[in-house]
Amino acid sequence: MKRIKILIVCISMLMIITACNSEGASSSGNKNEVSIWVHTSEETAEGKAMQNIIDRFNKEYEGKYSAQIEFIPRSGSGGGYEDKINAALTTNTLPDVLTLDGPNTAAYAESKIIAPIGEYITNKDDLLPSIIEQGTYEGKLYAVGYSESGVGVFYNKKMLKEAGVDLSTLPTVDDPWNWKQFMDLCEILVKKYDKPAVDMGLNDKSEWLMYAYTPFLWSQGGSILNEEKTKAIGYFNNEDAVKTMNFIQDMIDKGYTTKTPVEKAFQTEVYPMKFTGSWTIAEMESSYPKVDYGVMPYPTSPETNKLVSPSGSWQYAMSATTEKDKAAGALIDFMTSTESLTEIALANSVLPAAHSVVEKIKDEVSPQMQVLIEQNAKTAHARPVLPEYPQVSRVFQQTISAVTYPEENENVQKLLDEQAAKIDQALK
Amino acid sequence: MKRINLKENLVAYSFMSPALILLGTFLLLPALMAVYYAFTDYYLLTPQDKKFIGLENFVQLFNDPVFLQSLKNIFIFVICVIPIQVGAALGLALLINKNRRGNLFFKVAYFSPVVLSLVVISVLWLYLLNPSDGMINAILEKVGIEPQPFLTSPDQAMYTIVFVSAWQGAGYQMLIFLAGLQNIPSSVYEASKIDGANNWQNFLHITLPLLKPTSILIMITTLIAAFKLIIQPMVMTQGGPMNSTMTPVYYIYQTGFSDRLIGYASAMTVVFGILIGIVTIIQSRISKEDE
Repeated sequence: MKRIKILIVCISMLMIITACNSEGASSSGNKNEVSIWVHTSEETAEGKAMQNIIDRFNKEYEGKYSAQIEFIPRSGSGGGYEDKINAALTTNTLPDVLTLDGPNTAAYAESKIIAPIGEYITNKDDLLPSIIEQGTYEGKLYAVGYSESGVGVFYNKKMLKEAGVDLSTLPTVDDPWNWKQFMDLCEILVKKYDKPAVDMGLNDKSEWLMYAYTPFLWSQGGSILNEEKTKAIGYFNNEDAVKTMNFIQDMIDKGYTTKTPVEKAFQTEVYPMKFTGSWTIAEMESSYPKVDYGVMPYPTSPETNKLVSPSGSWQYAMSATTEKDKAAGALIDFMTSTESLTEIALANSVLPAAHSVVEKIKDEVSPQMQVLIEQNAKTAHARPVLPEYPQVSRVFQQTISAVTYPEENENVQKLLDEQAAKIDQALK
Repeated sequence: MKRINLKENLVAYSFMSPALILLGTFLLLPALMAVYYAFTDYYLLTPQDKKFIGLENFVQLFNDPVFLQSLKNIFIFVICVIPIQVGAALGLALLINKNRRGNLFFKVAYFSPVVLSLVVISVLWLYLLNPSDGMINAILEKVGIEPQPFLTSPDQAMYTIVFVSAWQGAGYQMLIFLAGLQNIPSSVYEASKIDGANNWQNFLHITLPLLKPTSILIMITTLIAAFKLIIQPMVMTQGGPMNSTMTPVYYIYQTGFSDRLIGYASAMTVVFGILIGIVTIIQSRISKEDE
C-alpha cells in the first residue's frame, strides 16, 4: 500500500508540472492594449531608450492606447529571440508588435507573420531611403528600422602621418577614393610598417562578409541577383563580379590585408587601418581614448567612382495576426517619430534612421561619427530583400572567404560560376 | 500467484512511467516527428502550410555537395579522433593509476578540460592557434618550425579540430578507464610476477584483456559523441574554410534554423541517424565477435 501511495504522489506531481506549462501566453483582451517584443535586454542603453519611449507613449495616449514591452535578449547571431518568435508562430501567441532584423523582412512578410504598415507611418518621406528599401517587400512597407549602421575605413592618424601621408589629402564622402588609390595608400603603409595595412574583418566568416563586402560589388555596378531577384547566373558571375572579387583577392595577394588579423590590431596601433562601424567608435572612446583616429569613406570602383556603403538595422513591425492594428500602428508610428529615433540614436551611439534626426544630432556627435552619418545618409545600400536571404548571404560569404585563398581559387570566374549556380539552386 | 505477478508488474511499470513519459515526449516523439517532417516541405515560418512531397528531400539530399562533404568530414573526424582520444585516455589512466605523490593534482589537471564548457575551450584554442599572433606558432617558431595556418587552412582545419576535441574529451574517458583499471584484482598481477612477466607483457596480456568491457563502452560512447560534432567548428571555423570543417549536425542546424528548411533538415537527420545506427551496429558486432 505504501508503494501505491508514493506512486500516486509521483504521478500527481508530474501532472502538476505538465499543467503549469499548458497555460501559455495569454494576450489581454483589451483592444487598446498592445504588446511588443524586443530583442535586447532592458539593461542595455538601447533597451533603456526603448522603455523610455514606451513610457512616453503610454503617457501621451493615456486613456486611448497603452503598450507593454517585453525584453527577450538574443544571443550573438539572433539566437534566443528568434527561437521565441518561431515557437510563438506554432502556438499562435505572437505579440502585436515585434522587432526583426533587416534581412528577415522578406521571409516574415512572405510567410504572413508581419502585416504591411505603410498607412500607419506618418513620416515616411523623412526616413532614409535605405531604411525604406530594407523594410519594403513586393512594393509594400512591412517594417521600419529604428536606427542605421554603416562601415567606414578607420585610420590611425599618427601612423599615417609617420608613413608620410598628408592627412589633408585623404578622401571625403563627396570626394571618395577608388580601389586603386586606396591600394596605393596600403602599399605605403605596408612598406613602412611591414604589417598588413588594414584589417577588413576577413576572419569573421559570418554575416559581416555579406554586409561589408556587397558595397564593393554594387559600386562596380554589379549585383548578386537580377532585378526580379529570381536568378544569379549572369549576374553574380558577370564581368563586374569578377572585377570586384579580383580587387578583394589583390588586397590579400599583395599583403595589404589578411584573413588572420591580430586581435584588436587597430585598437592597439599594430595595424594602421580597419574596416569597421560605429560600434568601434564607442569602443575607442571607452577603452582606447589615447588613439587618435579618423574615418574615411568606403573605397569605390575606379570605373564608376560611385560611393556605396553598407547599411542595415533591426526594425519594428506589426504582427499579421493582431486584431489591434490601429493601436499597434500608432505605437510603431510613435516609435519611429523624429523624437523617438533621436533618443535611440543618441543613447545607443548608432546612426540615425531619418533625415530630420541626422539634422538634429549631426553637431552633437564626434567628427568620426559625422563621417559615418554623412556617408550613410547619402550612399547606404540595403541588402537584398528576399525570403531566401539566408542562403544567398551564406553563398556570398563563402565566395568572399574562398577568394581569400588565391592559391585554391586562382580562377575567380570558375568560382563565381559555381557560386551563382548554388544561389540559383536555393532560389528554385 | 499469478494475480500477484500482475500486480507486481503493474507497480513496476507505474514506477517506470514518469521516466517513460519523459523519454517518450522528449525523445521518441520528436524523433518520429522528424521522420514525418522529412517527407514534407515544412518551412519554419509557415508550419500550417506544410505538405507531403514524398522523396523529394531525399533526392535533393544526395545531390547536395555540402551534405556529402559534411559526411566525408565527419568520417575523417571520427576515424582520427577515436584512436587519439581513447589512446590518450588510456595512457593518462595508466599514468595516474599508480600511487604516486601529487596524483590528485594530475587527476584534476587532466580532467579539468571536461569541466569547462566546449565554447570556452574553443575560444581559448582559437586564440592559441591564431596564425598571426597565437602562442602555438610563437612556440613553433622558437624551435625552428615554420608557422602553421591551422584552422585557416582547408587542409589542416579538420585535424586541428580533431586535436582540440581529443584534448578536451580524453579526461572523461580517462576516469572510466581508471575505474576499470582499479577493478582488476592485484592477485592476477602477483601471479604473473611469479611467472616472471615484465611490465609490457603484463599490460598486453592482463591489463588490456581485462579492460575489454570498459573499452567497448568507451568506444561506443566516444563514437556516438564524435558523430555529433558541432560546437568546435561552429565557434572556431564556422564550417570553413571552404566547408572543410562542415559537419552533418552543423549543416542540419544551419539548414533548419537559419535557412528555415525544417523539412529538408529533417530528411538529413533521418539519413544521418540511420548512418550512425549502422556504424554502431557494425561496431558492436565486431566487439562481440572478438569474444
